[in-house]
Amino acid sequence: MAIFSLAFKSLLNRKFTFLITLFSIAISVALILGVQTLKDETKTSFMKSISGTDLIVGARGASSQLLLSSVFHIGNTTNTIKYDSYKEISQLPVVEWAVPISLGDSHKGYTVMATELSFFDHFSYANKQSLSVQSGEISDDMFAVIIGSDVAKKLNYKVGDNVVMTHGGGEIDGHDHDNIPYFISAILTSSFTAIDQTLIISLEAMEAMHTEHNDFHSALPSEQSTRTDTQQDDGHKHEQHDHDAHNNHDTHNDHAAHNDHDDHDDHDEHAAHNDHDDHNDHDAHDEHAAHNEHNEHNDHDAHNDHNDHDAHNDHAAHNDHNDHDAHHDHHDHADHADHAHQHNDTPEQRIARLLQIKPENINAVFIGLTSRQAVLGVQNYVNNYKNEPLTAIMPAVALQELWAFFAIAEVALDIVTVFVVLVGLLGMLSIILMSLNERRREMAILRSVGARPGHIFALIIGEAAAVCFSGIVMGIALLYGLLFALQAPLANHFGFYLDINFLNLNDLWVLATIQISALIIAIIPGVLIYKTSLSDGMNIKF
Amino acid sequence: MIKINDLCFSWKTTPVINISNLHIQTGKHLFIEGPSGSGKSTLLSLLAGVLTPNSGGIEVLKQPLTSLSSSQKDSFRADHIGFIFQQFNLIPYLSVIDNITLPCSFSTIRKQKAITRSGDLKSEAVRLLKALGLTGEDIFQRNVNELSVGQQQRVAAARAMLGSPEIIIADEPTSALDSAHRDAFISTLFNECDKENITLIFVSHDSSLKKHFNHHINLGAINNIKQEQQ
Ligand SMILES: Nc1ncnc2c1ncn2[C@@H]1O[C@H](COP(=O)(O)OP(=O)(O)OP(=O)(O)O)[C@@H](O)[C@H]1O
Ligand SMILES: [Mg+2]
Repeated sequence: MAIFSLAFKSLLNRKFTFLITLFSIAISVALILGVQTLKDETKTSFMKSISGTDLIVGARGASSQLLLSSVFHIGNTTNTIKYDSYKEISQLPVVEWAVPISLGDSHKGYTVMATELSFFDHFSYANKQSLSVQSGEISDDMFAVIIGSDVAKKLNYKVGDNVVMTHGGGEIDGHDHDNIPYFISAILTSSFTAIDQTLIISLEAMEAMHTEHNDFHSALPSEQSTRTDTQQDDGHKHEQHDHDAHNNHDTHNDHAAHNDHDDHDDHDEHAAHNDHDDHNDHDAHDEHAAHNEHNEHNDHDAHNDHNDHDAHNDHAAHNDHNDHDAHHDHHDHADHADHAHQHNDTPEQRIARLLQIKPENINAVFIGLTSRQAVLGVQNYVNNYKNEPLTAIMPAVALQELWAFFAIAEVALDIVTVFVVLVGLLGMLSIILMSLNERRREMAILRSVGARPGHIFALIIGEAAAVCFSGIVMGIALLYGLLFALQAPLANHFGFYLDINFLNLNDLWVLATIQISALIIAIIPGVLIYKTSLSDGMNIKF
Repeated sequence: MIKINDLCFSWKTTPVINISNLHIQTGKHLFIEGPSGSGKSTLLSLLAGVLTPNSGGIEVLKQPLTSLSSSQKDSFRADHIGFIFQQFNLIPYLSVIDNITLPCSFSTIRKQKAITRSGDLKSEAVRLLKALGLTGEDIFQRNVNELSVGQQQRVAAARAMLGSPEIIIADEPTSALDSAHRDAFISTLFNECDKENITLIFVSHDSSLKKHFNHHINLGAINNIKQEQQ
């Protein structure tokens, strides 16, 4: 005990070198603990990215790829699955809910995700927390966009602002879908998941952006005069009529198929189509006639009120049909067309509201099952799905697998921090070694009063222990100081929520290892001074 | 009380000490002189049990040192021997009082003796300092580096005497002092040693001090090693 109080007083006597050693150890301790904490927190926040979803279904491929694209919105979005597959899977009795998502567009670098409103009811993260709204409210309007907290913060958006999406990742300029602006209906509270950096729109709106609806302009109840004036080609107008007739069809696939054709030069085929569908809707002929009439009017320079009036009537009828069909096919968003925002709509938006087309392809489906036991069965069903190759992943399992990829980086980080600690300890060693020569007299005095070489040895070890221990204590203080200081900026600027916990068992092991390493390293000067104190006798050398 | 028989010691391969016979009686004041490098300090280290002889025997207080293990020798030294060096005797980071009571950290016997003498360690240290002519509370509180060399040597003497060891070994303790201080130091040291019946072994180059001592040894004369150096 006496020797430790000696060691302590001796350290105090050399405050300056002691403090330097202390700082170097404290910094390395703070670093190693900080890196551990960051690693743990990164992992936890990674694992918290999605919860409550039992399966994610996507195109056949690597599970990590599907996880990255659907949950983290990273990477490839070209692998799609059919909307019909989603419909069929969602109808399985064990499927409690299923939410389709479609990706591929962006807004100023932020991901645009198209989904259904039920996404907000079912998607959850961390410990089954649902997304919540920070301002505004989730609107069911077709062109409403709900934005993540980071998007709002970084781009300084408020509820009610208008935004335009960009095709793809925004790599190519001039691919903005600026004919379909969105209004921000809600800003979500921060979830510290990829949703914070995401803009959420409806599937129908996403589809509308990606379909060339120019052909439908004449179908609009108003404003069409300006648009149609610009169209000169007669044949083109005929095609429009065909498409209008097609609006009355029941399936989207037909629409999509037509839309995909940029130039419909084969008139006859369309005519045949019309004929074929006659039995579905005998009004089509009348409408067709009306349209023809209408177009002829358009060819005239002068617009007369009477003709306009006719056209309006026609289109009103048209509209009714469309609404009716929408009701039949998809139960939701049927009354979008009547929304208050319609008066500001661009022609493209009006058309889209009329059409209400669901996309043909989507990227992934989030699925919740009625019981956990059903997971494997459904996964098996999906993986062997008959109509197209699909993959179903369990998010928790896939997250674990993906995290395993980062293991190598973790190891690299560990190695670096271990070396930083080692450098700190070597600094301590060199300072103790340097002190030895000037302390030979001190050692001789101690020997003369009866101190054993073992005491001298213990004095050195005790000093190292004290330096290291204070370094560790200071390092912990430094760490928590930093964590508390960095918590808010990290959350604000990087969307990374740092949860501050007390040191875990692993940290305590790390600290114990550092302390023990310090003792082991101090054996070197300890042995040196032991030997000199034995061989020097009590000669005081100057 | 100290008996040396055919003592041989070499630093590595260089023989330094070869003494066939030396007896020192209890309570004697022995003056050892000899040219530099003649092995005076080495002899003291052998007597204190810090160094182990190559051959021959040293008996201190009827205890043959050669039969003791090195840690037993360390406790033996702590219990029975006080040491005063030429200079820089004090540990710089300890207070005057802590420097004096330092041997008690290693010897319970001396600690007990000091406590029975004055009640507690601090008052025993103060008593010794006063006996050596150091008075005033401020000196006790001062950093040891703020003392004069003469004061430092008296603090060192107080430490050597604390807990009444049977032997005090002083290796040129006055060489850093001027003659006035030197004489005062020696007389107070003698007084204390006489009172406690302490055997004093005193090494010095300075033959003018010889007259204070009743026993003298010239190491050059009794050491059978031929001096090559100096
Ligand atoms: N630690 C050591 N290692 C090797 N040789 C030593 C050591 N200490 C002393 N010597 C040698 O032993 C011899 C005696 O040294 P010692 O210190 O005992 O002489 P001394 O009589 O005390 O001299 P001085 O009067 O100068 O103090 C010298 O030749 C010295 O070089
Ligand atoms: Mg000497």
